[in-house]
Amino acid sequence: MTHEPVNILMVDDQPGKLLSYEAILTPLGENLVKANSGREALEILLKADIAIVLMDVSMPDIDGFQLADMIREHPRFQQTAIIFISAVHLSDLDRLKGYERGAVDYISVPVVPELLRAKVTIFAELYRKTQQLERLNHELEHRVAERTEELRESEGQFRSLANSIPQLAWMAHPNGDRFWYNQRWYDYTGKTFDEVKDRGWKTIHHPDHIERVEDSYASCVESGQPWEDTFPLRGTDGAYRWFLSRAVPIYDVNGKIARWFGTNTDITERKQAEEALVKSERFAAMGRLAGIIAHEINNPLEAISNAFYLLRDHPSLDEEARYFAKLAEEELKRIAHITKQTLSFYRESQQAVQVALAEVLENVIELQSRRLQVGGIILEKHLATDGVIHGYPVELKQVFLNIIGNAVQAMPNGGRLRIDLRESWGRSNGHFGVRVSVHDTGVGIQPEHAKKIFEPFFSTKDAKGTGLGLWISKGIIQKYGGTIRFRSMRRGERCATCFSVFIPTAVSAEPKEAAPVLVA
Amino acid sequence: MSEGRPVILCVDDEPNALILRKLVLQKAGYEVITASSGKQALELAESRSIDLLLSDQLMPGMTGAQLAKEIRVIAPKARIVLISGVNEIPPDASVADVFLSKVEGPDALCSTVASALSGQ
Repeated sequence: MTHEPVNILMVDDQPGKLLSYEAILTPLGENLVKANSGREALEILLKADIAIVLMDVSMPDIDGFQLADMIREHPRFQQTAIIFISAVHLSDLDRLKGYERGAVDYISVPVVPELLRAKVTIFAELYRKTQQLERLNHELEHRVAERTEELRESEGQFRSLANSIPQLAWMAHPNGDRFWYNQRWYDYTGKTFDEVKDRGWKTIHHPDHIERVEDSYASCVESGQPWEDTFPLRGTDGAYRWFLSRAVPIYDVNGKIARWFGTNTDITERKQAEEALVKSERFAAMGRLAGIIAHEINNPLEAISNAFYLLRDHPSLDEEARYFAKLAEEELKRIAHITKQTLSFYRESQQAVQVALAEVLENVIELQSRRLQVGGIILEKHLATDGVIHGYPVELKQVFLNIIGNAVQAMPNGGRLRIDLRESWGRSNGHFGVRVSVHDTGVGIQPEHAKKIFEPFFSTKDAKGTGLGLWISKGIIQKYGGTIRFRSMRRGERCATCFSVFIPTAVSAEPKEAAPVLVA
Repeated sequence: MSEGRPVILCVDDEPNALILRKLVLQKAGYEVITASSGKQALELAESRSIDLLLSDQLMPGMTGAQLAKEIRVIAPKARIVLISGVNEIPPDASVADVFLSKVEGPDALCSTVASALSGQ
């Protein structure tokens, strides 16, 4: 077996002995180094790596024991084996016991070559093994250090990546308990790690969703399948926003789940846009449907109305039959009223024209003047602009007749009606346009009605209303790219309701924050 | 306007609607002749004078507005009223003097016809 030769230092003041040791040990194939004194031996020891020192006990300047003591003191030589060669003295044997713990051996003279070779071979092997082990150890330590550094680097890169993404991100143990969140997560939730670690994340979930979310998360953690769910999370401001949440398992080298990595993507805007789209599509579809139905009703309705008109005072009918015909005619008028509302929008001109909203409003107020007078309603009117827009006067009149009519009807015991017209900026789109506000001090809008108020067939007026007025009004205003909103406030017995209609006249790039209020 | 009762040419592809409308107008004192299509109406208008055309807008073959244009040529003095159950006023309806919704009912029909004939 080839091996790396080790250095063997032979120390003796007699060159003849050194020569004989050399002759004995040469076959071993190690490097043999000779020293004639203890002092020379020390010098060599300091310069070279010596595996074994072979020395005579009795030497003139420094004897073998003294040299051994010096060698042993130095930490560098602790693995250096020492073989003493000496005639047997009792005192020597006692002293040798002091070295029991080190690699120390003793050979008596006359030296038996096989014995010396055997002992040297063992020590040389031992030295080589130790060296090898140390090398391996060193290599291992180096590799560990390298890997640690790599890990630290990749962990650092991962965290800065996780902090830079627009999503909220987190990590969880294989059992689903969270142990890390990115900065955005803390920024959004306003929570500390201690509040949300493990299962603490549940506190920012909406109570309506938490049960489902917990179940879906738990079942994915159990099965190891990627998780996906959509739910609202509460922000620092207390408001909930919608998040699309995903988590994927990260595996270790053995294919076991080491951790979960999850993200929450804010989809509030997307969701709102989708909902608005669905809603407007639904409204458009309902509008088309209403138009078709109204048309299909109108034809037979006209025929039936004409038939009952002819029956009204037909000579062949007796009093009772005429009474029945009259009732039927009245009921037909109700049908006609509804289809007229839905069919609606009869335009007196085919092209849109310049319409002054101030004129439209004056017109509507004129129509309502008697009801205002009789009902004890005080009118305040601030028409700060002509409010000229491009449109159809009749349908615009219908809108404001609806809104102002509702306001008047909401004040059966009198009150205050305020109508404002001014130039304004749209709240949501930054467009410039005109705004009409109609305030009343009537009965107000019940909170439970607030969501339904623009829905078709919603009415609080029992048989008096069709429930189509505001729905149609909204449809008309949307066609102009405008908005119709309302606010109803209650303080004790008193109520204030405001309907605000915005119609854009021009698109402007001006930011809406800079919007000047152009009220005179 | 011809002497005696004004003559109304009443056009609709739906027979029930046509008969009932005719009866309502007759009751109001007009002389009413009927046609069930634009083509038939044009034939009638060519054979005799009419004071007013009352036509449904949506009919197969020829719409009320198309018929109105032809009548304008044949009987330039005749007043034209289009009646319809449709949602939107057709773009070519301006050829008529009045556009009336069927929903308005018999009373409105009679008053509309009366005012059209009186030239208002």
